[in-house]
Amino acid sequence: MTEQPINPQAIEPTERKEKPSQTNSMWRVVRRFLLQGGPLIALLLLCIYLALATPFFLTEGNITNVLRRGAVLAILAIGQTFVILSAGIDLSVGSVAALSASVSAVLMTQRIEITETLFIGPVDFWVGLPIGIGVGALAGLINGLIITRGRIPDFITTLGALVTLQGLALLITDGLPVPSYSSAPGALSSLPEQLTWLGSGAILGIPVPAVVALVIVIIAWYVLRYTALGRAIYAVGGNREAARVSGIRVERTKVAVYVISGMLAGIAGIVLAGRLNSANALMGQGQELDSIAAVVIGGTNLFGGEGGVFGSLIGALITTILGNGLNLLNVSSFWQQVTQGLVIILVVIFDQWRRRRFST
Amino acid sequence: MSSEPTLLEMQQIEKRFPGVHALKAVDFDLHAGEVHVLLGENGAGKSTLMKVLCGTESRDSGQIIIRGEPTDDLTPKQAQELGIGMVFQELSLVPALSVAENILIGRLPRRSFGMIDWSQANDIARENLARLGVTHIDPHTPVRQLNVAEQQLTEIARVLSRDCQILLLDEPTSALSETEVDRLFETIQRLREQAVGIIYISHRLDEVARIGQRVTVMRDGAVVGTMPVEAADRDTVVQLMVGHKPGEQRADAQRRTGPSLLRIENLTVQDHLYQLTLELHQGEILGIFGLMGAGQTELADALFGLLPHESGAIFIDNQPVQIDHPGDAVAAGIGYLTRDRRGSLIPVQPIAPNVTLPLIGGLPLLRSLNLRDERSAANKYIQDLQVRPPDLNRSVRYLSGGNQQKVLLARWMHSGARILIFDEPTRGIDVGAKAEVFALMRRLANDGIGIIMISSEIPEVLSMSDRILVMRDGRFKAEYASEKPTQAELLHSASYATEQVS
Ligand SMILES: Nc1ncnc2c1ncn2[C@@H]1O[C@H](COP(=O)(O)OP(=O)(O)OP(=O)(O)O)[C@@H](O)[C@H]1O
Ligand SMILES: [Mg+2]
Repeated sequence: MTEQPINPQAIEPTERKEKPSQTNSMWRVVRRFLLQGGPLIALLLLCIYLALATPFFLTEGNITNVLRRGAVLAILAIGQTFVILSAGIDLSVGSVAALSASVSAVLMTQRIEITETLFIGPVDFWVGLPIGIGVGALAGLINGLIITRGRIPDFITTLGALVTLQGLALLITDGLPVPSYSSAPGALSSLPEQLTWLGSGAILGIPVPAVVALVIVIIAWYVLRYTALGRAIYAVGGNREAARVSGIRVERTKVAVYVISGMLAGIAGIVLAGRLNSANALMGQGQELDSIAAVVIGGTNLFGGEGGVFGSLIGALITTILGNGLNLLNVSSFWQQVTQGLVIILVVIFDQWRRRRFST
Repeated sequence: MSSEPTLLEMQQIEKRFPGVHALKAVDFDLHAGEVHVLLGENGAGKSTLMKVLCGTESRDSGQIIIRGEPTDDLTPKQAQELGIGMVFQELSLVPALSVAENILIGRLPRRSFGMIDWSQANDIARENLARLGVTHIDPHTPVRQLNVAEQQLTEIARVLSRDCQILLLDEPTSALSETEVDRLFETIQRLREQAVGIIYISHRLDEVARIGQRVTVMRDGAVVGTMPVEAADRDTVVQLMVGHKPGEQRADAQRRTGPSLLRIENLTVQDHLYQLTLELHQGEILGIFGLMGAGQTELADALFGLLPHESGAIFIDNQPVQIDHPGDAVAAGIGYLTRDRRGSLIPVQPIAPNVTLPLIGGLPLLRSLNLRDERSAANKYIQDLQVRPPDLNRSVRYLSGGNQQKVLLARWMHSGARILIFDEPTRGIDVGAKAEVFALMRRLANDGIGIIMISSEIPEVLSMSDRILVMRDGRFKAEYASEKPTQAELLHSASYATEQVS
C-alpha cells in the first residue's frame, strides 16, 4: 500500500487522468473484440466479399443451403470442442455420425427378422431417433473407457474407432444406401417424413438443422460456462495433473466428454440423413477433419484448456461458406481443397499473432 | 569489492506488460567475484529483470553493458555466449528428458558420425550433480520422476556445468533443505574465488548475510536502494521492501488443541515410509521437519491418495476412511498444498477458477455454479493474502511466482477442508505476506482446523508449530511437544547420528 501524498496540487493530476482512462476503456473494448472476435471478423469479411463477388451468394436458396450444411458441421464441431478443450481429440465423429444415421435409417425403413415369425421394424421415428443417438453416445462411452481405463492415447483410440465403426455401418447397411431400391418384404421405400423435416424443413423460415444447432450451442455454452462439468473440462485440458491433485475426477471427465461428442455426432448424422433423404455408411467421411478445423478456426486451443463453442460455430460457418463461395465462383474442386487448407493455416497464424499481441 | 572489475551494468531498463509496468528505469550492476542479492516483495520485478538479462524477455528500453560492451537485442543464445546462466524460479527442465539430457541440453557430447556419447554425457551430469553433493540422482532418470527439490538441484547443476561468468539464481533454495543449501553456498563461494559474478534472489532473508556482499532492493518495478551487506540488516531491508515499518512478525503460538481429528496407524509405503503412526488434533499446527528425502512429501502424498500405501489405516474423527484418489481425500475433508507449483496451477485460467477448483470435484457433473459467489469468495483470500495485481480475470501464468503461491494457499484455505497439509506453504512468498500467511493459518487452527505443516525452514517450523515431528528415512525420529528444541537440536535429530552437526 503506497501512501498518497495529501496536498491540494494532487487534485489536478487526478482530474486530468479521466481522459486517458476513457480512451483506455475504448481501447479495451477494441482489444477485447480483436482478441475474442477474430473468427467473427473473418466470417464477416468473407461474407462481404462473396456478396460483392457473386449475385448468387445472398439468394434465399443459397442461404438456406449454407445454413443446412453448416448446421451439421456445427453440431459435430460442438462435440469436438468438448473433446479438444479437455486436451483430447475425436477422430471418430464422422464414422459415429454415419453409424447412428445408418442404424436409425435401417430401423425406420426395414424389417429385421429375428425368426420366421418374430421381427422388428420398421419402427416409428420416435423410436429410431433415440436409438440412433444412443448408439452415438455408446460409441463415445466406449472410446472414453478405452482411453481412460486402457490408457490408450486419444488419437489412437479414436482412429481405431473411425475405421471400426465405419466397418460396422457397412455391415448394417450392407454397403447400400438406406432406404435402398431393392424391395425386401416389409421394407419402406422412403424415410419417415419427420426425419426429412428434421433435415430439410423450416421453422418460421429458418431451416430446422440451424435451429437444432443453435439450441445445442446454447446448451453447450451453458454447460461449459456454468456447470461443474464445464469447469472440470477446462481444468483437465489446462493442466491435467493440477486437476487431479485438486480432487477432480479426470477419468470421469474425459469419459463424459467423449459421450457428449458421440451423442452430438449421432444427432448430426441423423440430421444429415434427413437432409440427404438417405443414409449410408460413408456419409461422414472427412467430417472428423472438418470438425477439427472448425474448432481450431474458432480459436479453441488444440492443446486444450482455452476456447469455447461460439468460436466453433463460427468456424463451422467459415468452413462451409468458404466451400460454398468457391463453388459459386466456379473454382475447380482441386483448387477449392487447396484454398480451404490454406485458409485454415492463415486463420490459425492470425489467431496466434493476435493472441501474442493483445493478450492480457 | 569495487576494486573488482565490473562484469555487468544495466541502465534505465524499462519493461511493460499489458496492464503492468514491471520495470521502471532500473539501474543495476555486478562485479566479478561478488554475490549481489536482489530482494523485493512478490511481483516487484526481480524475475523480470533477470529474464531480461538472460534474453528470455525483451526490454522496452535501456542499456545492458557486459564487460564494457553494450548489447543491443539480447537473445537467449547470445546471453549464453556472453557467459550468462540462469536458474529459473519456475524450473525450466524438460519433463520427458533424462537428467543428463537436461543438464547437457543442446550440447550433448558426440562421437564420430554424430553419435551421442552417452557414457560421457552421464559422467558429466554425475560430476556436476556431485559438485552440489548430490549423489542419489541417477542421470538416466526422466525429470518428471524427480521431486521438486531434485529438479531444483538438476537445474542448478545444468547452469554450473556451463562455466558461466554471470550466474543468475532466482530463488534457487526455495525447495531445498538445510544440507543442500549448505552445499550450494559452498559452491557459490568457490565460484566467487574464480571471479564469477552472481545475482541471487531469495525470500529467505537469513541467507542474505550468509553469502551476499551487496544488496539491492526493488519495489513496484523500481530499485529503491543498493547497499553493502553490512548495512542490510533485516529491519532496514524489510522497510525498504514493503515501504513502511514491518508489523510484528511472530504469530501468537497459543495452544488450544481439541479432540483427535486425524489418526494414522502403521502407515507403510514401499521404500518410503515405515510403520508411521501419527495423530493430529483439532486446532493444532503440527510441524514436520526432515532433510531432503526423509519421507515428508511421501507421507502427505499417501494421505492424499497420490501414493498407494501397502498397509496401515487412516482415521478421521475416529472413523476409518479409504483414500485411493485425491477426490476421496477432498471429500473426506483433506486439503493438500503440494510443493510443485507448476503441477498445481491451471496456467491459462484466471485466479477465481484456480482458487475454487477443489470445490468442483465433489459436485454432480451438471450442477450449476454461482459465478458471482465464486468471485466474491475468491476475492476474500486474494485480499487477505495480498495477491498482486488483485485482478481476478488475470491468467495465473502472468502472476509472479510468489503471487502464484498465494493463489494456491487461497485455494486450500477456501476449500473448506478440515485437515490441511501444507508442504512448504511460504515457498517463494515475501516477508510481509509470510506474516499474513502465518496469521491466517493460526486463524484457521483457532477455528478448529488441523494443519500439518511440512517445512525445511527451521525458524518457520519452530515459530509456527504447536508440536514438531522430525522425520528421517521414512520414520519419525523425534517429537517435540511442550518444549521447543533449538535449531541445532532439530537439525541434529534429522541428520544421521554419525554426521555430527557442528
Ligand atoms: N508475461 C507476463 N505478462 C504480464 N505480466 C507479467 C508477465 N510476467 C510478469 N508479469 C508481471 O510483472 C510483475 C513483476 O513480476 P516478476 O515475476 O518479475 O516478480 P518477482 O519480483 O519475481 O516476484 P516473486 O517474488 O513473486 O517471484 C508482476 O506484477 C507480474 O504480474
Ligand atoms: Mg520471481
